[in-house]
Amino acid sequence: MKNRSTSVSAFLAWTIGFIFCLGLSNIYAQNDQKHRVRLRADYVKIIEGDAYLNIKATAKIGDETLPVPNIEIAVYNEVEGEEIILGNTKTNIKGESRFVLNKSMDLKSDSTNTYNLGISFNGNDSFRKASKSTSFKNAHIAAKLITKDSINYITATLRETATDSLLAGKSLILQVQRLFKPLKIGEELNFTDENGSIQVPVEEGIPGIDGNLVIEVVLEDSDDYGTVKTIINAPIGTPIVEEITFDQRKMWSPRNKTPIFLLVVINLIIAVVYGLFIYLIFNLFRISKN
Amino acid sequence: MTKYESLINDLAPRKFGKRGTIWTFILLVVIILGLISYIDQVNKGQVVTNMRDYALWGIYISNFVFFVATSFVGSATVAVLRLTNNSWRTPVVRIAEIISLACIIMAGFTIMIDMGRPDRLLYLFIYARLQSPITWDVIIIPTSIILSFLLLYFPLLPDLAILKKHNLKTKPTYSKWYGKLSLNWTGSKVQKAIQSKSIKIIAIMVIPVGILLQTIDAWLFSTTYRIGWDSTNMGAYFTSGAFVAGLGALITVVYVIRKVRSLEHYITDYHFDKLAQYLLLTCLVYVYFNINEYLIPIFNAPVEEDIHLNALVYGEYAGLFWFSQIFGLILPILILLFKKGRKPMPLFIVGIMVVLGSWWKRYIIVTPTLLHPFLPIEGVPESWHHYFPSMHEWLITGATLALTLLIITLFVRFLPVIPIQRIAEEKGLLKTDKKAES
Repeated sequence: MKNRSTSVSAFLAWTIGFIFCLGLSNIYAQNDQKHRVRLRADYVKIIEGDAYLNIKATAKIGDETLPVPNIEIAVYNEVEGEEIILGNTKTNIKGESRFVLNKSMDLKSDSTNTYNLGISFNGNDSFRKASKSTSFKNAHIAAKLITKDSINYITATLRETATDSLLAGKSLILQVQRLFKPLKIGEELNFTDENGSIQVPVEEGIPGIDGNLVIEVVLEDSDDYGTVKTIINAPIGTPIVEEITFDQRKMWSPRNKTPIFLLVVINLIIAVVYGLFIYLIFNLFRISKN
Repeated sequence: MTKYESLINDLAPRKFGKRGTIWTFILLVVIILGLISYIDQVNKGQVVTNMRDYALWGIYISNFVFFVATSFVGSATVAVLRLTNNSWRTPVVRIAEIISLACIIMAGFTIMIDMGRPDRLLYLFIYARLQSPITWDVIIIPTSIILSFLLLYFPLLPDLAILKKHNLKTKPTYSKWYGKLSLNWTGSKVQKAIQSKSIKIIAIMVIPVGILLQTIDAWLFSTTYRIGWDSTNMGAYFTSGAFVAGLGALITVVYVIRKVRSLEHYITDYHFDKLAQYLLLTCLVYVYFNINEYLIPIFNAPVEEDIHLNALVYGEYAGLFWFSQIFGLILPILILLFKKGRKPMPLFIVGIMVVLGSWWKRYIIVTPTLLHPFLPIEGVPESWHHYFPSMHEWLITGATLALTLLIITLFVRFLPVIPIQRIAEEKGLLKTDKKAES
């Protein structure tokens, strides 16, 4: 009986020791383990402007998802199982990079007119290698400003470029460019009709420099087409009247532009007070002479 | 010896005894230590202080504000009591005038100490921008120094002439100097008329200039868009605080001088009682402004102000805040409400409490606001999030306080601290021309 209990104790001790060692080895193994990089690539096309890939690299370290800066990422075009390198890019401090797809790169699509692009990271001492691919078809947004019954409208038509087919039932966003965040106008979602078109009224009174509004029509983050954006300059805003006080006599102006009232008041006070001082000192002189 | 001669003997300045010499020596040691620290500060730059990008105003500016506030005692006692015909003021006005002059001189010095490049002092005048409250401060401080000097000097003339005569045989050198400073005062009708008219002008000038000084000092803060400073209450708040600080300092100094110079017959319990009542009134007014300053924002403060108030009431500065409010204001009020609390000794203790409370009060007005900017403090070392003065700052500030006391001590040593001529007139020891005097 005693032997049996000793054996059980020895077994338990061994088991605990084994689990403990397992745990330790796991901890040390964690230290040697490279982190996994998560890549993201979003295609963006500006009509009559650049097309580019917005790349972002992150990694989950501990409980936090952190950007991965300064890693070299290769961008390639997948055509019939072949990878044609388009170029390399490096992530910035935020783990982001913008890879512009020049026309000279001559992207090739597959038989369904889909462009397949891939990005890959070869790994380094801290991070394992990773890759990501994205696919898109070429789409076009034609937008213009029209005025009907004194109301301004933006009309836009969305079509697939390769097949020249109109795209119905797609949601477009209308927004005015602003410094921090675009100002959305119209409905939250504007679905294209059977002609691939939308028509959205632009309300009056939106301020713009010299009355010019920079309006964007955006197909945002589409599964098939990526992000497509067209920009219209519309002179229909309310001009921003800047009150320029430069060179005027204001409280915040330089010393040679002191407001007149301040010059008068302060100098008057100084003159009265110091005038009285002179009078009082003169009185001291009079006292000494009497 | 006639009563008049006895009066002169009592009130004429005396050579220091052993205590006076030790006191002066201690002050000189503190001043020398501060001077060495200041030279080091000028050589190495303000890196020797604990002021950094955020706490860019520290103990120097709070000390400056304290000096400016205390200098208001001249306006508070001499002018206000004179214009309201409070005759009990006579034995304490000279001391008030001395404190006023000493403090405003030191306020000027302290602001220079805070300058990173004191060699550019002249630029403050040459490149003055009249829109800036700092320029108004640069104008008002020299103005106050001149006015405080005139406020002290005009009433001194008859006493200087008395001292000239008094010292003629025993101390001829002193007599010669007193004679020169008395501007050939003979007490003629014409001289008295000119003196009386001049004092009246100064007494009237001292009030608006004093209020301007306090208000400009307040505007240095309230014209900035900063939490805790951006308040329309500030001008009146500072002025009422200046009454308290000034009277506290006056009571403390009056008590010490009375004790050291054995002036109990001239500065009586009656005078202390009156000073105590005056201090009580000013403390109550100051409490009212404090309620306006701190209580109202509790109801409607934006988030940033809330953070600031929390730091004052519960947080990092709670100790100093409640010290200045309770020890420096509420307790003095409670003590002064009782007649026994208005006796010289308790009042002296109250005076010290008020002065200490007033000094730290300026510190918590200046520093916490700077450490609570609208945008969070980021990208700087952790130590920059807090401020506590460095040893250099303490030594230099200590020296400025010691220099103020030394100026007061030297005035007490060489000038009559109670107006001899006026006391003689009030006691009917002299034939005076009442019309000229009034």
